[in-house]
Amino acid sequence: MNFFILCLLGGCFGIGLGYFVQRAGLCFAHGLAEIFMGKGKRICRLFSVIFIITAVGFLISGYISPDLGLKPIGQIRGSGFYNLLSGIIFGAGILLNGGCILGTLRQIGEGNMLFLVIFFSFIPGMALTVYLLNPLLESGYNIQKLILPGLLGVPAPWVTGVLALGAVLWLATILRRKRG
Amino acid sequence: MDIRKISKKPVVLVGCFAVLNVVMYLTIHRFWIGGSSFLPLIGITGPGNKFLFAFIVNLGVIAGAFLGAFTSGEFRLRWPKRINIPKAILGGTLIGIGITLAPGTCTTAFVTGMPMLSVSSFLSGAGIFIGAYIMFTIIWRRI
Repeated sequence: MNFFILCLLGGCFGIGLGYFVQRAGLCFAHGLAEIFMGKGKRICRLFSVIFIITAVGFLISGYISPDLGLKPIGQIRGSGFYNLLSGIIFGAGILLNGGCILGTLRQIGEGNMLFLVIFFSFIPGMALTVYLLNPLLESGYNIQKLILPGLLGVPAPWVTGVLALGAVLWLATILRRKRG
Repeated sequence: MDIRKISKKPVVLVGCFAVLNVVMYLTIHRFWIGGSSFLPLIGITGPGNKFLFAFIVNLGVIAGAFLGAFTSGEFRLRWPKRINIPKAILGGTLIGIGITLAPGTCTTAFVTGMPMLSVSSFLSGAGIFIGAYIMFTIIWRRI
């Protein structure tokens, strides 16, 4: 597919995703803060719904086309210590700002210009890592790309099935508690 | 059953969001990523302009959020207070380091990576939880 058309379609999907994110008020930074304050039912409910639909959809996609299916994501460094470390730094950053990536993009769209400052502040952090830290860290990278079924030695439908079922049960428990 | 009322429920809206995420993967064979998508801001567009594509999707997310806020009357232009800017720059820089050290933002980890059963996303998710908890306890103590 022509890159221009691909970007055009990607932009249209982005508009749709952004619309639903805004209307749902989805932000994982707020959700994590709610969990730490003992009020995490809302974000758990939303995450369960996202997980169930997306996990089943991605699994089925593999049967529709061999190009699709489950793939390792965000593994420039492979799976290991750097994922945990980057997660810790990122987690601290989003809680300090009160907005994850989704939340930041959403808040910019809602007219909160503080998040535009945050958006452009990604630049020094990214430049520091890419131009200064990367050359130092490269020797220590583990570039093994893994998905969970490969790690456990269990077929993907079983892993997705068990996790999705767990999420459904979790969601049902949260909804029952809410109603009760 | 009031469809207008149901369509405003966050659970239904995130359901639509998740379906759209899967449809995007099925139709254009690309998934939505968060962290690396911002690398074009420092001139890195990735192999086959992969990051540039993701950046455009994220610009679309801003436009979509604007559309949602504008049509619902929630759009309000708010300028930052000077006192909040240093904190925003510090937080933004931390996010910038985190997303490039080993890509794993909330979007990548929670929305795409975990449903893809990607091991790195589970690790990133655990890291995000730990980092956010550390920052939460620091902020909470100060308050």
